[in-house]
Amino acid sequence: MQTRRTFISQSLGVAVLGGSLPLALVRAAVAQPLPSLGSTVDPGNVLVVVQMAGGNDGLNTIVPYSDDAYHRVRPVIRIDETNVLKLDGRIGLNPALAPLMEEFKEGRVAIVQGVGYPNPNRSHFEATQIWETASPDRPMTNGWLGRYLDRISQPRNTAHTVGAGAAPAIDFTAIALGDQVPTALLSQNVDVPAVGGLSSFVYAGGGDAASKRSAGVLFDGARPGQSPYLSLIEETSRAAFYGGDILRQRTTGYKPRVAYPKDGFSNQLALAAQIIGSNLGTRIIFVSIGSFDTHSDQVGQQNRLLGYLASGLSAFYKDLAAHGNADRVLAMTFSEFGRRVQQNASNGTDHGTAMPLFVVGSRVKGGVYADHPSLEDLDNGDLKYRIDFRSVYATVLRDWLGRNPADVIAGSFETLPFV
Amino acid sequence: MKLDTSTDPQVGYRPPGSLDPDAFERYSGHFGVRQAAHLLRRAGFGGSQAEVARLASLGVDGAVDALLHPVEPDVDLAVYPDSSELYDIHLRIKNQAAQMWWLNWMLQTRRPLVEKMALFWHGHFATSLNSAKVTAPQIVQQINLFRSEGLGNFRSLLRAVTYDPAMLVWLDNRKNVAAHPNENYARELMELFTLGLGNYSEDDVKNAARALTGITLSAGRVAFRPALHDQGQKTFLGHTGNFGPDDIVDIVVTQPVHPRFLCRKLLEFFVYSDPEPELVEQLASVYATSGFEIGRTVGAIIRSNVFFSPRAYRALTKSPIEFVIGLQRYMQFPQVPLDTLTWLARMGQIPLAPKTVKGWDGGPTWINTTTMLARMNYVNEVVHAQVGTAQAATMSGTTVELMPRFPSNLPSMLVPSAIVAAAGGTIAERVLDEVVAGVVQGDLTSELRTTLLAYLNGTRTDNPQPFGPETFETKTRGLLALALTLPANHLN
Repeated sequence: MQTRRTFISQSLGVAVLGGSLPLALVRAAVAQPLPSLGSTVDPGNVLVVVQMAGGNDGLNTIVPYSDDAYHRVRPVIRIDETNVLKLDGRIGLNPALAPLMEEFKEGRVAIVQGVGYPNPNRSHFEATQIWETASPDRPMTNGWLGRYLDRISQPRNTAHTVGAGAAPAIDFTAIALGDQVPTALLSQNVDVPAVGGLSSFVYAGGGDAASKRSAGVLFDGARPGQSPYLSLIEETSRAAFYGGDILRQRTTGYKPRVAYPKDGFSNQLALAAQIIGSNLGTRIIFVSIGSFDTHSDQVGQQNRLLGYLASGLSAFYKDLAAHGNADRVLAMTFSEFGRRVQQNASNGTDHGTAMPLFVVGSRVKGGVYADHPSLEDLDNGDLKYRIDFRSVYATVLRDWLGRNPADVIAGSFETLPFV
Repeated sequence: MKLDTSTDPQVGYRPPGSLDPDAFERYSGHFGVRQAAHLLRRAGFGGSQAEVARLASLGVDGAVDALLHPVEPDVDLAVYPDSSELYDIHLRIKNQAAQMWWLNWMLQTRRPLVEKMALFWHGHFATSLNSAKVTAPQIVQQINLFRSEGLGNFRSLLRAVTYDPAMLVWLDNRKNVAAHPNENYARELMELFTLGLGNYSEDDVKNAARALTGITLSAGRVAFRPALHDQGQKTFLGHTGNFGPDDIVDIVVTQPVHPRFLCRKLLEFFVYSDPEPELVEQLASVYATSGFEIGRTVGAIIRSNVFFSPRAYRALTKSPIEFVIGLQRYMQFPQVPLDTLTWLARMGQIPLAPKTVKGWDGGPTWINTTTMLARMNYVNEVVHAQVGTAQAATMSGTTVELMPRFPSNLPSMLVPSAIVAAAGGTIAERVLDEVVAGVVQGDLTSELRTTLLAYLNGTRTDNPQPFGPETFETKTRGLLALALTLPANHLN
């Protein structure tokens, strides 16, 4: 078995698994991503999706400070006009977002206001599924980014194709930074790894190095004509077993050029920058920050999280720029819903509907897209949406990832000019 | 012990469409440890070596009867969890109490087929705590329905599901009233529960929804209110009348397509993922003739030739619950540790929270880099947990003190000294045979056996210690980790 495997040389300086790591087959979904539109989209473009989990209160994120109604409905938790970072005569940023102001002034931040969809769902789980599958009307298993990945990749091997001793194949086309693969990245063809961190995305041998070394050859026995799932299990186990070592080896040369803040969200972004700077063929990275579910005493919690968001993204883009990668990265936020217009009795807000999202990047056409939703013309006390979230997705798909949105999202949605 | 190798899993797989003529006749072939373990994995969650041996000693008829018609009393977890746990003000905690309650039934029950059927119906009716609309007490009530009626009559079960509080909330039928029909339950009743897409029209959905109006839920009590029920004529699947909820159930189960729809799903769950149409037909005939008796139908499956055929052997992927509970039963955990929930989430299956209204897709979708790494690392954590050193669980958003009833993690009862004693001493080959017999019933290639033996014997310079009294603790644990990680152990 050993003879059929290819080994990288020790000179790479990777001390793993007793010193021998089978040559990694880092399987990009396609060697050359082919934009479907013959557009000028750069095939190296990377999309970073930032989930603001829990339902972020839009009214205290992009503050309509000049609107009397705002001050009426938020008597305790409103952001005082003097503290608002004014964008124009009517709206401004929550002061916790100050680190993003520099990016905004440079025209690298697009704010899309009033994003939602018809018949909004106020359940965290169901609304998250709706956003991640881009399917408000019918539950779907695979995510919108998963379907994008399916479009640019070959069908995943399910049986009978992998011979003994094949190199571990791990696919870094898309990476979820965290414990679990989010629905957005569930796909038919592409096995998206969830990477909690470089040190946790690894086979834990329980301190028994000899046992760990032996485990590496457990998955080399596949032969055609066995149980229909055996070779799939072996191939996937091999990717899982070696994947962490491959990832560390491939990213080891990268050093951040800025000091990131020390919170968990910034840790994710630092790793994202490292992955982007390490030429793994990665096109999608999913990161998450939460919880924005501020039913009580909202202000402290939301401001702290918005602070993490802004300072993290600011450091991320400085790091990307210092490595010459800023031009090929676009970050987009989303949250499953905004919150109620009227504050509740606990100085918090309950589940609502439309909210703003941010698109950040040096090739973004900065500015504010769409009017702030009216605080007078409400639907059962909730904001009426102005932009369907699938319009934002369609824009990103067409103008950033070079894919016809109709390949990925059912229905037809206007794109926005923010890319 | 001598391994029984009367069927070889390595050569068994055949393409679909090649059903043997006697596939559905009663199996009368050899029934040894491997067949008994296969039966216990499919009609249960696997077990310790002693449990498997006991089942094997009963012969195939005795073993199937013991699973279908258990006579000995079950363990008593009935009062568990008590209402204070389920009604805890912390939503997360009461959901976890319900999840832990059911996992403990799966681990501790002496009636594994009852819990396995409950898991099947949970995936079929796929109600989730995740919506935040369905409460923990409601979902416990629904699972208890599956546990008590899951091997009974499907028509009765479907009627009970139609009036089940969790289902009334989950698919909105509590809001379905004559003035404002809500079609959610009516549609899924046909699409997901009984007939499948393409076997009914949109008009059937509308008319069924009208017939299902008037079942209300208030203060936790289900009541049929004639004033909210549509009293008009409905035309449903070719029948016309002033139908109510029970009529809809009766009409839908007597559709000719229904037996095939349900029996295909049972075969995919119990036998293999691509059952031949003729096999589906044969089972559908058993089911329809019996008057929708689930127990008789499942019984026909698990005593058939095709169930014990090489094609069915290890032909399914283990779901995370099957993998984890199977491991815990094999290692004789006294109860389910709390951190099991965290690991199951990483492996992609959260009990009482199916991914969509369609349940879990299963099969190859359980297998990806992230979930396989979680399985490997779970194995290592469990195997290396030492007696007396159980650590506090590191669960996000939860502390162990809130749930004193659930230990965070536990050492198993299957400790190295017990394995060595069962093997008859610190003899590498015997310990190896003991472990691979218990974990995969010896289903591994000779190359893999050589690999495992080399690990125990310490033949390499970086593993120089031989297996013996000084090293058996560490090496038996390492061997367990390797055996539980074997590809065959991910196959059901």
